[in-house]
Amino acid sequence: MSDLDKWIAALRACRTIPEASVRELCYKARELLIEEGNVVQVDAPVTICGDIHGQFHDLMELFRVGGDVPDTNYLFMGDFVDRGFYSLESFLLLLCLKVRYPDRITLIRGNHESRQITTVYGFYDECLRKYGSANVWRYCCDVFDYLALGALVLGTSSTLEPSPLEPGSQSNMPPIDDSIEIEIMNSRNEITARFPRSRRRLYDHELTSSSPPNSPSQTQRTSTPSRTPGGGPPGTSATTSAPASPSGGAVLCVHGGLSPLIDSVDKIRLLDRKQEVPHEGAMCDLLWSDPDDIDGWGLSPRGAGFLFGADIVKRFNHMNDLSLIARAHQLVMEGFKEMFDSSIVTVWSAPNYCYRCGNVAAILELGEDLTGGGVVGRSNGDLGRARGKEEVVLREGEVRSGPGRRYRVFEAAPQDSRGMPAKKPVADYFL
Amino acid sequence: MPSLALLDPSHEHVFEAPTKKINEGNDVSTFLMSKAYTEIMTFAMQLNRSMFPVSAESGIQGIDGAKQTMPPDESLFSDTVRRLRTLLDELEELIESNPPDSGPRRFGNLSFRRWYTDVENRAPALLETYVPLDSLCIPTDSENTPYAELESYLLGGFGSAQRLDYGTGHELSFLAFLGCIWKLSGFQSQERSDIVEQNIVLGVIEPYLHLVRKLIKTYTLEPAGSHGVWGLDDHSFLPYVFGSAQYGPAISKTDPVPTEGSLPTAPDPGDVAKIASVERLRKKNLYFGAIGFIYDVKTGPFWEHSPTLYDISGVKGGWGKINKGMLKMYNAEVLSKFPVVQHFRFGSLFSWDRHPNAMTPTPTAHTSSQPAPKTSTPHTPSSATPNPPAAQPPSMANTPAPWASSNPSNISSSSSATTAAPWARSNAAKPPQIQPSRPAPSRDPPNRPQQQLDPLRNPAPTRERKPRDTVEDAKASLGMPPPTTKAPWARKPD
Repeated sequence: MSDLDKWIAALRACRTIPEASVRELCYKARELLIEEGNVVQVDAPVTICGDIHGQFHDLMELFRVGGDVPDTNYLFMGDFVDRGFYSLESFLLLLCLKVRYPDRITLIRGNHESRQITTVYGFYDECLRKYGSANVWRYCCDVFDYLALGALVLGTSSTLEPSPLEPGSQSNMPPIDDSIEIEIMNSRNEITARFPRSRRRLYDHELTSSSPPNSPSQTQRTSTPSRTPGGGPPGTSATTSAPASPSGGAVLCVHGGLSPLIDSVDKIRLLDRKQEVPHEGAMCDLLWSDPDDIDGWGLSPRGAGFLFGADIVKRFNHMNDLSLIARAHQLVMEGFKEMFDSSIVTVWSAPNYCYRCGNVAAILELGEDLTGGGVVGRSNGDLGRARGKEEVVLREGEVRSGPGRRYRVFEAAPQDSRGMPAKKPVADYFL
Repeated sequence: MPSLALLDPSHEHVFEAPTKKINEGNDVSTFLMSKAYTEIMTFAMQLNRSMFPVSAESGIQGIDGAKQTMPPDESLFSDTVRRLRTLLDELEELIESNPPDSGPRRFGNLSFRRWYTDVENRAPALLETYVPLDSLCIPTDSENTPYAELESYLLGGFGSAQRLDYGTGHELSFLAFLGCIWKLSGFQSQERSDIVEQNIVLGVIEPYLHLVRKLIKTYTLEPAGSHGVWGLDDHSFLPYVFGSAQYGPAISKTDPVPTEGSLPTAPDPGDVAKIASVERLRKKNLYFGAIGFIYDVKTGPFWEHSPTLYDISGVKGGWGKINKGMLKMYNAEVLSKFPVVQHFRFGSLFSWDRHPNAMTPTPTAHTSSQPAPKTSTPHTPSSATPNPPAAQPPSMANTPAPWASSNPSNISSSSSATTAAPWARSNAAKPPQIQPSRPAPSRDPPNRPQQQLDPLRNPAPTRERKPRDTVEDAKASLGMPPPTTKAPWARKPD
């Protein structure tokens, strides 16, 4: 067993590894990360995850629900550390997996992957307590500086592949066809909701269209027809896929959101990211901003980053030929929330956040486009119908069709199995 | 024993509405040398001492030698204490008339704003009723009344309506409210001068904590500053100070405050991890009362969601030692922390002026092990440059940026936009360098020139956006909950 595999085994058992091992691991991780661009290209299929915040047992639950590494490809959108009890174990395990299976797992930076933030929100305290010195905190922070700022998921499918059902479980739902855009499953691999592709996208004037929910509990929310053709005709972006391709388009993943200083994905690539997260500027905004129901840009109440409205997202997606922005950064009680006609989604992966919020968590699965560039239709779907719809979409210059999205919603891991540890020496206040 | 000095009614005195003075990390060192800091600490120590059990030879009756046991004997309360209890009751009743919204939301409940607005509107009348002028000792030639000061601290004591959070900074404000009444001789009682402080804790602070917990639960208020599981408690600190004193060894009037040992009948500190013990003790002791509330709102193993309290429960040396540690920790983690004290306001009773005997705060072993703050290039203050967005101190659901600034609406009136240093008045020498015990939530919030914001022809964020509440209310109507992690360098937007 290599050292790396030993570390993985220890960390999976929620045990820390020696300081010297952390140092070595962080060195290896840095070597690897330094080669990555600011925007990592990731091929579907991939499972996108939001904030973890040191909730190790819930991360294990996430892997149980979503599949283990390396069987499932993962993209974590940052905020591995702070607030929870197991930031170290969670981050180091993810880092080990990154080093062990570099093509199977992608880690991008969250606003908590920062020296200043971790000293205020707990990770620094945790390292001191678990190692008695700040060395491990320093090693980790050095890795933070090398984490990518975003990821671009390519090759997604606009359709949903059936999820392999657990033996014994069954679904009352009809078989999937191409018209299903969103599927929601629970942690027992049961489908709890499905949403067809919104007809709104096809016929702009239809007010009665059903819109994808912004959360499972809000399915009945009526949507307004999108007035702004925020995304122009997809054909204008000169992509390689044929107009009728069932491809789900490119998905940009970033921890926080957009920046007024960034109008293209390429501009993100030009940033010098290998530094502490600055208090302002494009890099800061990508990690701190939030979408909001406003027009244009707004001041963020967080004191860093900005608020940005639907018009900003739609324009950005159009200009960059994106079908969706996936981001994390904000607690969502239902685990995920799509906004702005499904042009952006928040994914939150820390259930019962801080032991008290009572929220569920979610991960987002994007399937792989198996059609070979949009030429070959799927055998189990009504391709002609789908294609016809797509053509209408194109003609009308409406919103580009997004990828098929499967959200797996899960709750906090059971807590009964965790033993009570010995009390540790307390801070010097009590000496 | 040192106690908070009373205002001398024979001297003239000008009350002034308290204002914010702590605008950047360095101002905390100035605060630590201010009269306000010294007096708050004096008042807290004085209340703390009063909570230790009294030894038999002191001649005071008590249960188990400890009449600090709860519930207190209400017949011993002074009129002032009784009135303050009624005031708190009235504030609690306002919860009934402002029930939480049931709609979709992210975390904090927007109905808290309605409760708070109610309190704000009624505060002047409530204060005149329950803290009447004739119960206070005010210099006759005073140019004005102390109500502006009382009201500021009282209203600061119940969380932030804007951020929908509550933390130790709010608790501190309520302590200052009581400190004001103390300084105005409101608590002086002829008959039982020996139990005045104790009745403040048991008669006023305890029901205050009860009210605060009800607010937190009703409106799911977030922790205002959160080291996550690594902080002492999401919301409170004082109950751990006073509650540990309740179990300390009995003392006589002249004994120094114990620093170790326990009352023989005190429970084992390790009982905090046993839910049955906590249930039994939470009504009798402030420390266990606070622990009980943690059990109410959190799920999961105690040692995991509250590791600091769990570790403290293993302290050898008894409740006296825990008490001493809590006081030190309060000083370092509450009074010395920019994200907490930045919200404190200074008037005539708790003054920003330098205390004549103030000593330069020295770094402790704890503080020196902290990482050096990352500081940004100091910006050149200019009133023409807009300050960064409104920001908020750390909270649970959203991380605020540590460098975040104060409210746009505030900027012109007070703070960092112009050059006047807050300590300009009292400074004989440069403010001393101290190591803040945490990363100094960094000094100056970097300004964002607006013209740079707009490379895309998108309207740049504008400062003159309507008051946040309007925005929040609009969001609320859309089922959009309030914002969340704020920058630790954030300053309070009010």
